[in-house]
Amino acid sequence: MNSVDPAPLPLHLLSILLLGTGLALLTGPAAAADTFSFDVEEFSRKPYDFNGYAELKAEHEAIDESGALGRIDGSEPLDSTRQRATGTVQFSGTYRWSQASFNWLLTAAGQQASDGWHDTADVYEAFFDVTPATNTTATIGKTSYNWGTGYAWNPVGFINRPKDPGDPEESREGYLTMAAETIKSFDGALRNVAVTGVLLPVLSGVNEDFGAADQLDLAVKVYLLLLDTDIDLVALIGDDQTSRFGIDFSRNLTTNFEVHGEIAYRHETTKVVLSPDGSVVRRSESASSWLLGLRHLSTFELTTIIEYYHNGGGYSDEELSRFYRLVDTAPQQARSLARSGYGRPFAGRDYLYARFSVKEPFDLLYLTPALTTIVNIADGSFSLAPELMYTGFTNWELRLRVTLLAGEAGTEYGEKANDARAELRLRYYF
Amino acid sequence: MKPLFSLLLGLLVVLTGTAAGALDGNALLLQVDRKMNPESYEMYRKLINVEPDGSSKEFVLYTAKKGQDKMVALFLSPASEQGRATLRLGDNMWLYIPNVGKPIRITSLQSVIGGVFNNSDILRLDYSTEYSVSKAEETADRYLLQLKAKTPTVAYDTLKMEVDRETLLPLTIEAYAASGMLIKTLRYSDIDDFGDGLLRPARLETDSPLYRGYKSVMLFAKIHKRDFADEVFTLNYLPKVDELR
Repeated sequence: MNSVDPAPLPLHLLSILLLGTGLALLTGPAAAADTFSFDVEEFSRKPYDFNGYAELKAEHEAIDESGALGRIDGSEPLDSTRQRATGTVQFSGTYRWSQASFNWLLTAAGQQASDGWHDTADVYEAFFDVTPATNTTATIGKTSYNWGTGYAWNPVGFINRPKDPGDPEESREGYLTMAAETIKSFDGALRNVAVTGVLLPVLSGVNEDFGAADQLDLAVKVYLLLLDTDIDLVALIGDDQTSRFGIDFSRNLTTNFEVHGEIAYRHETTKVVLSPDGSVVRRSESASSWLLGLRHLSTFELTTIIEYYHNGGGYSDEELSRFYRLVDTAPQQARSLARSGYGRPFAGRDYLYARFSVKEPFDLLYLTPALTTIVNIADGSFSLAPELMYTGFTNWELRLRVTLLAGEAGTEYGEKANDARAELRLRYYF
Repeated sequence: MKPLFSLLLGLLVVLTGTAAGALDGNALLLQVDRKMNPESYEMYRKLINVEPDGSSKEFVLYTAKKGQDKMVALFLSPASEQGRATLRLGDNMWLYIPNVGKPIRITSLQSVIGGVFNNSDILRLDYSTEYSVSKAEETADRYLLQLKAKTPTVAYDTLKMEVDRETLLPLTIEAYAASGMLIKTLRYSDIDDFGDGLLRPARLETDSPLYRGYKSVMLFAKIHKRDFADEVFTLNYLPKVDELR
């Protein structure tokens, strides 16, 4: 459900509300005496669970008037800045009976922006699952999958919706699938084996954005915990354009140092490319994508996540630069190419992701400052996002983040629609 | 020949007498473990982080353990953490966040809840699984055990444990890094009857020179012996841990 309805902009009111609530939170919680009790019956299991969050977000963007991706729809920016205020609610829940359960994840958002009012409501998940034995589960319905060990990207996430590397831990919409899973544990070097099979139909009105219509795809994942290493063997079997294979791993080298990686291979897929002479060609090529990453925790609680991502099916910096120039010379053709691959996030070939977060520096309990950067290695453009997160009040989360984009003309981040964005987000979990 | 035989016999008596009277620290540690909980069990815990101004933040967990090295803990409260689950298989630890899906590997020194308790405190295996007794002494009312980590992957290199002689329950534990630095002190108290002959502390309090003024408290309830299938302690089962309750 989507609607657009221009309306006056009550952004200042929302900003005051957000700031006021934030300041109230930061003034400190009420003190409690050391008389703790534990009434465990309060937490007895019920046949249903119901929870979620409500969120208010205020955003301020500095528009890059020369950015090709901001002008690709043919509109000219009205202003050099843009404000948005968004309210979101997400409801998730489970109802259980015997060995079966029904699970749902619903989300709805209303946004007041410079160009009017927008709202959305989506069913991210709605599925039945049955667990006839501890080691076996069958699922049917709309379910999201999160395959792969990468934090920002997942080359082997063949049936995942793509992550937003700025917020990789946010929930994502699922696909309508039928799945079965079985697990077996052992003693010895091989401790666990789990096999998951997923049938994913693509029909008119069903999973239409997944791939070619009127076919049934089969995704299989075999998980092994072997020699203290997580290993997944992953395959997606469909038509020639869909089929692909991959493997991922994750392992702790020491108590505070983890390494992970993924590699995926796709045979003979069609790629739309803008040639130097301006013609558009459809090329058939095989592609391997891979990711290598690490996570490290220092003695002073600095968590570092670094990932290198090679997108084998992506465009070179020359190909991307050629496309950005086309936005001015042939905007209609550029729009068509954007839909054919040039416009997707991370359309380039090689990226570096790094995130540094310090837990509770200077004894400031529940405060986590972080710095995240994503670099397009080929053209040198990048985003840089410092943030502050405060979680000191039960069920409340306050996050302030600024994202700065930098790059020359003709580079990925240099051609984005904005130069900078500030975001204040207040979330309440229930 | 006779004097030599007498000498050897005397030496044997002295040696066997000494062996019989010596404190077997590792056997004692095993007894402490069994006094604290059955080898396989379930339990509920409330974890409270207390700040210097007295304000606090509480978490409630359901925990299942099997054998020597399998453990899973599910967050029941607060709402912001509900459904999160941590799994431990030997030295491997993972955190599952609902709606995010893929469990991520975590380390024993991190803390998924903030405060003084880290992941190895929340997913603590039996002491005798991770430590050997390097020194054992006794006083009129205490056993004093010095424990050394069996592998470098254990969170604390050395523990100094005071055990009550009568109940064989731990009273205080000091946790040290390999450098000799004191990381934290744990204090057990409030002996309670959990049923089935299990009489043990219902409260664990910890503070740390690294977090001056802060302390964390763990309250225990419903510790019951229970056996689980091995498959409960797998990544794939993490979204379903609540079904065990």
